[in-house]
Amino acid sequence: MVKRNTAQAPLTPAVLHILLALSGGERHGYGIMKQVEADSHGKVKMGPGTLYGSVGRMMEAGLVRESNKRVDPEMDDERRIYYGLTGQGRAALEAELQRYRGVVAVAEGRLAHGQ
Amino acid sequence: MANKVRDQHFRNLYSMLLRLYPRAFRGKFSEGMTQTFHDLCREREEAGRGLLGLALWIFFETLAGIARENITRMNQLGRTMLRVALVALCLLMVPLVASRLVDGWKWGLGAFVMVYLLLFVTGMAYAVIARKMGAWTYKAGVGLALAAGLALGWSNMVHVADSENPANLAYYSVLAVGGIGAWLARLEARGLARTLFAMAATLAVIAVILPSGAPPYLARNMTIGHVLFVALFIASGLLFRRASLAGAN
Repeated sequence: MVKRNTAQAPLTPAVLHILLALSGGERHGYGIMKQVEADSHGKVKMGPGTLYGSVGRMMEAGLVRESNKRVDPEMDDERRIYYGLTGQGRAALEAELQRYRGVVAVAEGRLAHGQ
Repeated sequence: MANKVRDQHFRNLYSMLLRLYPRAFRGKFSEGMTQTFHDLCREREEAGRGLLGLALWIFFETLAGIARENITRMNQLGRTMLRVALVALCLLMVPLVASRLVDGWKWGLGAFVMVYLLLFVTGMAYAVIARKMGAWTYKAGVGLALAAGLALGWSNMVHVADSENPANLAYYSVLAVGGIGAWLARLEARGLARTLFAMAATLAVIAVILPSGAPPYLARNMTIGHVLFVALFIASGLLFRRASLAGAN
């Protein structure tokens, strides 16, 4: 469950990947899935159930907004619903990355002392 | 050609599967999910690979999502019911305490149970309807309309019991107008605004044409009551109208 106060709370892996995928610009559902797959070097494959369930909760939390329907020039001529990051979503992503940096710094320091 | 037919077949099956999602979720995402499923099938076909494995994985993954969303919705509904039950219990304390302090206020157990049920049903109606629209004007309109409807229904029930005048049952037609109007409007703000104005008009007409049969000192209070209820229904209608205009903009 995505809480409203996401700036402090750790994000679920699905939410983090979706925020990361949308940080490069607006994408439709399939576009998000492909971007998540690319960002994780094929390690994370998100199905529509997880993707849209997470997007729904992220919309409720104000992290993501639905954009207008339009055609993807790289695909067929069907119009698709696009999703984009809100300011709050970008802030949540930055806060999460900052938290990761802190964890990495602690882990590296500890491992260095252990050697 | 065979692949296209198979793709369409899977797509139809997937659309049927999506019907198991809660209605609100389905309304928001089923189109996008079907489209995404179609895109995944097309990608698989272009890679020259079979669709069955992909379809099985997606169907299974979506079923897990359906279970998750339904459980979340049921939990939300359960929490809402608990909150409404507690608020109704708190409100019931008012007549309970009053019946101990006010002379002549003698309610039986049945009356308390009935009042509690009325409060609970009204509260649940508010919780379910008010979430249709995020605008505060819509929520305030729903709250005002339900509170006024409950007060009118309750006061009329007491009045009918006291006066034993069956003509007063005509007041229930105001609530019937509200119920039918809300159903026809499918709870949309614009239709609800018209419904509330129609309720106000119906009550005004009844107040004018129905002989109250009450003594003069009570007739004055009844007139004030009528004016108050008409004003409440109009105020609620105006709130819905404002919500409708805000939604249109």
